[in-house]
Amino acid sequence: MTPSIKVEHVTKRFPARRGPRDLRGRGGVRDWLLGRRQEMFTAIRDISFTVGAGESLGIIGRNGSGKSTLLSILAGVTLPSEGRVTVNGRVASLLELGAGFHPVLTGRENVYLNAGLLGMRHAQTDAVFDDIVRFSGIGDFIDQPVETYSSGMYVRIGFAVAVHSNPDIFLVDEVLSVGDEEFQRHCRVKIGELREQGKTIVFVSHDLGVVNTLCERVILLDEGGMVQRETVQKTISYYLRQVGDEKGIHVFSHGDEEAIECEGRVSLYHKGNETTSAGGISMEFSSLGQYHTSAMADWTVTERRPEGCLSKGQMTRLPFSLLWDVNFDQQGRLSWEASLECEREVQIQYICGLVHLPMTFDRWLYGEFGGTFPDILPSDVRPGLVASPEMKSNEAAALPSEGASLPPLVFRMTPHNPRFAIIWYNSEYLAYSRLLQCAANFPEHARTFGPGLHRLFRIEIDPNVERSTVEGELGAVEAALRSGQTLVSGALTARFEHGCLRLFHNGKELTAYLNVYASILIEYLWNDSNSLQWGASQEIEGGIAFNGESRRFAFRQRWEISAVPQGISLAIWLENEEPLVVQEHHTSVVLRPEYNEWSTDNERGAFAPFDAAAKRWIHCNRSYAPGTTATAWSPGLPSVTIKVLPDAPTVRMTAINTTSQENARVLQALRPSEDGRIRFEPGRHLYFSGIISVESVGEST
Amino acid sequence: MGSDMLMGGLTYCSDKQRQVRRVLPDLIRARELLFDLVWKDLRARYRYAVMGFLWALIEPLMFMLILAFVFSFVLADKASLAGGGGVRPFPVMLLSGLIFWQYFTAALSSATVSLVDGRNLVKKVHFTREIIPIAACCVPLVNLGIGFLLLLALHLVLGGALSLATLWFPVVFAIQFVLTVGLALLLSCGHVAFRDVGNTVAVGLMFGFYASPVFYPLDLVRHAASQHSWVATAYMANPMAGLLTGYRQILFEQRFPDPGLLLWPACCAALVLLSGVVLFRRSAPTMADLL
Repeated sequence: MTPSIKVEHVTKRFPARRGPRDLRGRGGVRDWLLGRRQEMFTAIRDISFTVGAGESLGIIGRNGSGKSTLLSILAGVTLPSEGRVTVNGRVASLLELGAGFHPVLTGRENVYLNAGLLGMRHAQTDAVFDDIVRFSGIGDFIDQPVETYSSGMYVRIGFAVAVHSNPDIFLVDEVLSVGDEEFQRHCRVKIGELREQGKTIVFVSHDLGVVNTLCERVILLDEGGMVQRETVQKTISYYLRQVGDEKGIHVFSHGDEEAIECEGRVSLYHKGNETTSAGGISMEFSSLGQYHTSAMADWTVTERRPEGCLSKGQMTRLPFSLLWDVNFDQQGRLSWEASLECEREVQIQYICGLVHLPMTFDRWLYGEFGGTFPDILPSDVRPGLVASPEMKSNEAAALPSEGASLPPLVFRMTPHNPRFAIIWYNSEYLAYSRLLQCAANFPEHARTFGPGLHRLFRIEIDPNVERSTVEGELGAVEAALRSGQTLVSGALTARFEHGCLRLFHNGKELTAYLNVYASILIEYLWNDSNSLQWGASQEIEGGIAFNGESRRFAFRQRWEISAVPQGISLAIWLENEEPLVVQEHHTSVVLRPEYNEWSTDNERGAFAPFDAAAKRWIHCNRSYAPGTTATAWSPGLPSVTIKVLPDAPTVRMTAINTTSQENARVLQALRPSEDGRIRFEPGRHLYFSGIISVESVGEST
Repeated sequence: MGSDMLMGGLTYCSDKQRQVRRVLPDLIRARELLFDLVWKDLRARYRYAVMGFLWALIEPLMFMLILAFVFSFVLADKASLAGGGGVRPFPVMLLSGLIFWQYFTAALSSATVSLVDGRNLVKKVHFTREIIPIAACCVPLVNLGIGFLLLLALHLVLGGALSLATLWFPVVFAIQFVLTVGLALLLSCGHVAFRDVGNTVAVGLMFGFYASPVFYPLDLVRHAASQHSWVATAYMANPMAGLLTGYRQILFEQRFPDPGLLLWPACCAALVLLSGVVLFRRSAPTMADLL
């Protein structure tokens, strides 16, 4: 197969003095007329490499190392002084999004113009025009002059055109650093998709984390020359060590443990193997609705020690600096202490410390809980919660799979601000990592950080704990969790997992996302059952029961689950000591997206395809008359029916699509209120009572 | 698309970027983009002007009126001679020269700086760069078209007649267009390397306005230079002299212009276009370095 890009002995020289000639000065017209050669500056020196079709190549290097020159040679914007470049396939360069947009033309006209520059004909643009508009989210603005657009819209539409021009090769230069968080996420997902579609991607970035996740191969440019090591990680760490004493970078170690701190990200190594994944150890913030990461700050290492360092990152768009004290102690444990130094008063809604771990870590421990990390699927565009944040604990551990060269890691967090709590997540698909988050959400009255130093948290990462110790603890936790939490009724197995019920039929899972859960709307806040704090199971006649307590409002929930023929019965009790005013509440069965048809007492229909633009759940039913039964079915899957019993409050049954990201179908029993107030007097109330039954296709009547 | 494959549009090789024989296929492939660029320029120029394209009409009209005023009243005796009596009304004679000269001026002055103005395209995207100066030559065609209709209307109003000979206009204009495009290619890539080219062109065009039969007929020059034949020869070396006179012969004498008048401009046009295409293609692939 012909390679997509072939670079043979390419050298590029520029006149030392760039730009047009003028009459005077070195390299001016005089010298030219007299035949004096100008001094030349070599930007790229004898570089050769090939990029196979479908490969993604990262190019890293310091400023001025020739990255952009190389990319513009690949894009055909300029020619090499020596050597040859061959590119097979259509190229879309995202060198500068929206290059050539003319401000007075409408978005529509600019789309055609820009697509034309990328080599598309009008007919081809017509075919993808609607997709471009949808992807960019520009909407009706498309017929407005682009000078009325915000800079974000400009970039979005430029990116949308580039990705929809259906090229074979993408040249990407730092575009992911523009736009808001939502757009960046959008871009990363799209670039990930393009990679999966087998497009060739050449990616130039300062953001080593992004390069590490997106690229299969990395070349390092150093003063015009090329350096390549066998793996992406090795090339990147070579680069980091090479630039080791630059102002934002420090390399330190203790015994087998080594850490590289680089511009707001720490990578950990154990005997030369990277224990963190590409994202490393970093921080995220949200202030005034804007999202920032520690990598966006301007970092300076203020104190260098062989076993640690102090560093300071001045946020570029926020009036505060991050202070990190990272060091190894005598036992080789890494301690990461994070503080905030505010120049003046600043509003921060959210602060989060992140530790990214590779996917070889497959089991987690968290306080008294533990389990196996779920897989990360291509549809996971947002981080997925692994353990409920309500199980407050300041200790966690991750265990790598058997035979991995990495040690188990034990984390201990000390919150200097009481709002910080740690929790396990799975990252989104692109980062493809396990994520320990140490996050704090600040409610409106606690958002203001005055001038001065604010200590946030300290995380200690201990790689010295024996594997058997962690395994033993995990085994005990898992055994405790499993016992008494599962109910079997014929082919149906129901497993209670922290405030939700997962249903399995002959071992195949029917539920998805939130599974079977209940939620109560109080003061405009939905209180999902899985956000309560749940205790151990209790045996009751014919089944099991669980008690959960809300941390937000004064109520408890009790789930009683028992087996009935072809299903389970579920009764949910609400217990409150003070009067509780509820706006509405529901119990929902959240099913796999394969379920495509539904019926209720009043009507039946098919679940609509997911609308990618939908930000909310969308009801499929039209009738809102009270009912008792809702069913979902699909060829090849057993039908699932939720039937509300007469002793429970009157509800209406609805069939709902979640957003396309959540990707699930919902049968919901919702109890509305006429005036938005359902008053529960102190006492014990039967909140929901029903039967969830499952019938396989052959049995259905 | 299969046709792209056949045309070799999907493979880029840095060695072949300077090959002159690829110019024509490249231009054919980029034709839609050329139209888009022209359209972009037109829209950008007239979008926010209340009278929009009407300005394209008002501009030459006002220019003609002021010149007609100067030559009909202030310099009345010269003008009667220039107009050649009642057969050739002075305003028509004037306008026939003016619109074609103005096209030449507008096209060349915008084309010369077009690459530098469009540097954010040239520096970012690989495409057939020739279309940038060519588009700049196409944009003033709209003004020319409007001016031409105005010319025909004025001609008829002032007692002139039209015949099938009017159809010769496009033939003569084709020579002028080729000449303009050739010069545009030469000057635009010259301007990238030497920014003095832009100023030189501005001065040259002003000189050319007086040194071409725009507001006076060629006969006047021939008459005046009858004593010094080299002056007439030098004057005729300007290809626009033959072309502008050619237009007038079509309009007033309703016949194909003297072939002798068109031969030199046609040779000039061919030569300029050829050298323009070659020079442009040679320098285009690395012009981004100079921007």
